[in-house]
Amino acid sequence: MKMLRLALRNLRREWHLPELRTLAASLVLAVAALGVVATLATRIERGMLASAAELIGGDIGLSSPQALPESFAARARQDGLALTRTASFPSVAFAHQHTQLLDVEATDAHYPLRGKLQLADAAGHPRSGHAPAQGGVYLDHRALVALRLKVGDRLQVGGRELSITAELVRQPDGGELLALAPRAIMSLADAEAAGLLGVGSRARHRLLLAGTPAAVQRWRDWAQATTLPQGAELITPEQTQERMRSAFDRAGAFLRLTALLSALLAGIAIALSAQRYARRKSMEVALLRALGTSRRRVLGLLSGTLGALAVPAATLGVLLALGLAQLAWLLAGALFSSVPASLPLAPAFAAAAMGMAVLVGFALPPLARLAEVPPVAVFRQSLTRRSHRFDALYLIPLLVALGLIWSQSSSLKLAGILAASLFGVATIAALLAVLLLWLARRVAPGAHPALRLGLAALARRRMLSVIQATSLSLGLCALLLLTIVAPSLLHGWRQELSADTPNWFALNLQDDQRAGFAQALQRVGADQLNMLPLALGKLTAINDQPVDQLHLDDARAQDRADRQLRLSWAGALPPANKVIAGRWAGPAPAQAEVSIDTMWRDMFALKLGDTLTFHIGERDIQAIVGSVRKVDWSSFRVNFFLLLDPAHADELPHTWLASFHLAGGHAEGLAQLSRDYSNLSLIDVDALLDRVREIVDRVGDAVRWILGFSLLAGALVLAASLAASATERRHEAALLRTLGARRTQLRMAAACEFALLGLLAGLTAALGAAGAGLWLGQAVFHIDGFVPPPWPLAEAALAAAIVVMLLGLAGMRRIVRTPPMRLLRES
Amino acid sequence: MRAPEGRLDILSGVDLRIMAGESFAIVGVSGSGKTTLLGLLAGLDTPDAGAITFDGHALHRLDEEARADLRRRLVGFVFQSFHLLPALTAEENVMLPLELEGSRDARSRAREALDAVGLSPRRRHYPAQLSGGEQQRVAIARAFVHRPRVLFADEPTGNLDQRTGHHISDLLFALNHDHHTTLVLVTHDTTLAARCQRGIELDEGRVVPGVRA
Repeated sequence: MKMLRLALRNLRREWHLPELRTLAASLVLAVAALGVVATLATRIERGMLASAAELIGGDIGLSSPQALPESFAARARQDGLALTRTASFPSVAFAHQHTQLLDVEATDAHYPLRGKLQLADAAGHPRSGHAPAQGGVYLDHRALVALRLKVGDRLQVGGRELSITAELVRQPDGGELLALAPRAIMSLADAEAAGLLGVGSRARHRLLLAGTPAAVQRWRDWAQATTLPQGAELITPEQTQERMRSAFDRAGAFLRLTALLSALLAGIAIALSAQRYARRKSMEVALLRALGTSRRRVLGLLSGTLGALAVPAATLGVLLALGLAQLAWLLAGALFSSVPASLPLAPAFAAAAMGMAVLVGFALPPLARLAEVPPVAVFRQSLTRRSHRFDALYLIPLLVALGLIWSQSSSLKLAGILAASLFGVATIAALLAVLLLWLARRVAPGAHPALRLGLAALARRRMLSVIQATSLSLGLCALLLLTIVAPSLLHGWRQELSADTPNWFALNLQDDQRAGFAQALQRVGADQLNMLPLALGKLTAINDQPVDQLHLDDARAQDRADRQLRLSWAGALPPANKVIAGRWAGPAPAQAEVSIDTMWRDMFALKLGDTLTFHIGERDIQAIVGSVRKVDWSSFRVNFFLLLDPAHADELPHTWLASFHLAGGHAEGLAQLSRDYSNLSLIDVDALLDRVREIVDRVGDAVRWILGFSLLAGALVLAASLAASATERRHEAALLRTLGARRTQLRMAAACEFALLGLLAGLTAALGAAGAGLWLGQAVFHIDGFVPPPWPLAEAALAAAIVVMLLGLAGMRRIVRTPPMRLLRES
Repeated sequence: MRAPEGRLDILSGVDLRIMAGESFAIVGVSGSGKTTLLGLLAGLDTPDAGAITFDGHALHRLDEEARADLRRRLVGFVFQSFHLLPALTAEENVMLPLELEGSRDARSRAREALDAVGLSPRRRHYPAQLSGGEQQRVAIARAFVHRPRVLFADEPTGNLDQRTGHHISDLLFALNHDHHTTLVLVTHDTTLAARCQRGIELDEGRVVPGVRA
């Protein structure tokens, strides 16, 4: 208590010190920046989850091959969640003399809980709505064309006569991307009454739920702790279709990257301020020690002062973070309209804790060193002997930085790349600074007077110059990553979804239809045509062990084992695929080979050399696992989990799958195509593409918002880094003015000094950002051929040199204008 | 000057003339205005009223840049607390005025100056590694290295023991004599002041009449 009072008194006395104010400002900004970033990121992630929720028609769900026990719905009602039930199954529809196999979704009236069905009436006018009432049915365009029906007509499904009340244009949870049949939505009550869901039906049942995040989480926790029925699995927004998942993963990585860099910037600013504070305190500590204060008490007093400063500063940071996040939210409200409006408080408090950790981690080593100051230093500082007792403390900021990187990135790869890049930048900057100082000593005597004075000034503050160059380089590197590399990565991602990305798939194409179909597509203006064989089959054995006798732990594996699988074959490795184990079989290996995707490897715990047996048509084929592929599911190309070699697979019964791009406004051409090739299933994936584009755009908006706050943190690093030498500079300028130095001389010298520092930092930062960008693009974001833009980076390096020079000169203005007499008295 | 309490006269009615080559002492108790007068004479500051002429230049009419130019060419300083730059070696500290002039042989001239004050062996030492007397000798070398016409010394022995103080004052007077440099000395040490040819005593900013230090 006594110590706390003493610390508070000490803080009140020292509050005028610029270092202490900078330290407080750094902490406020650190917490505010971290808090704003985390709060916005949480909200945006919630927005994305909301977006993903539309893709599953609710916030969470449970899917099962059997009707779901009532306990799951009862628990949901108890948790205050809204619920809807659906069942999907194949069924043949009859109308006049025509029949068509349909993918039917039978739902209750509440479906979908998130998003709406997009429908069209008889006149083609669009509207949105929920599931059809009893006696009604929605058919998609392909179903209408195949059955030669229109809205208002009647058809039979499962022996029940239903009226087509609307055309189904788009279903938010658009079902499987490669759904095999045209789609229909009917009432669950009708399906039950028709006996379509009875024992032996092939229906897949879903229970979809929606509600507040807390209630959803409660139900989720409960469901995860409960034994699920055989074959049942949770449907979560994170587990939407492969392409969407990949988009969410990338979006999350972008946001975490920006948040992390802001945190590191703040850490650097805190470290610099603490260093400066400790330097100033060393004489005072020597005096206290000389007056009989114990080392422990000195440390207690320092920690108490720092704590007394940190608590209100962190509180202010939290308040600022919440205020700014709310403001940003209101300003950008139109962009994220579907996101829940409540302000999440937890991220700001977590940011305060992180800010405190950064403060302790970065400020502790220089302050703890103060305990080393011996009482004799009161007489002469040179008597201070450097002990190595506290050297290990310098590992703390490193550990805190690594901890931050780890906690914010939650990906070992992203964390590793960033840590290695920033460490590389720091090392190169420090080495270059040492080289510059060595050159300064040699070049200075023959150089222009201003340059000579500037070089001499750099050389005079050796250690400070190295610290400044390193911190400036790290700060600038983080800023360049944020301002140039991240947007460029986003642009690269956007380009992957360029306007001519295939947006239609055609299924069930027969061998003899291929040529004619290609010509017909050309006539309607389609391009980017790509055709692949498609065989449907079942996995029957792994290493000669029948699958139904295997105990499969992974629910997904069990599901895959029960389902029909889609297989294809290719002689050359398709684009967006990378072999990560084994080797690509080529067109004709000696034995039948299968290449598997990493998900299959993990689900079935497969390894190279294992044998898989498939039953395709009336034939069995046994293939050795020859390679494991990493597939970029975000590429929107036709990709397969299983690829056989053509030599052994060509004779298997198969159809062809075509993907192509067709711009909007060709509905009539497509309708004709549907009529001419009535066996074909045409699938529009524009909805999915639009969703991914929307995610990219939202991430872009979020990054721009976060960037503003990160820039503030960057500016603070710059200011703290330049202020690090302010005391020495002030004294030096005063002396030089007294000795007759002209203002222009001092300004020119400062300009040379800061320009050199800025150029060194800018170049190192640009190199570091380019390297990290290249690495991140390939290893984390998987953007093929991504190269960070060299010219903007070079320009930014130059701009950094100019900004550092101008800021340095601005800092010198007051010093060179003050009469030297006053300066001497101040110093 | 203006202070919260109203107008404050730090110096008033000071009328004096210092001749080239002579040694001149300004004495007085703490707060009597000695350092302020020294600063005005050296062109570090300007008076609100009155006139100061330095080698034919009206200091009170010159702007800061012009005064800095005069200081660089004609003035040397020695301070009570030495004011050496801690990050520079003794030699680099002495080189400073020459570097400001753009001199190309700054290093060799600095070595000569250090030699003259007997510190050649310690030229690579930093101020923190030197004793108070040694630091002041470096400061004197720096003050003389560019051959100034006037040397202003503000309590040059104030931080030193008596014996070291004697050595330093001997050095100052020797250089004053050898180079015919005007020496203006601010001190409250009457023995030191007595070694000067002339002087004044200040009391509350005014010259004490009839006192010749």
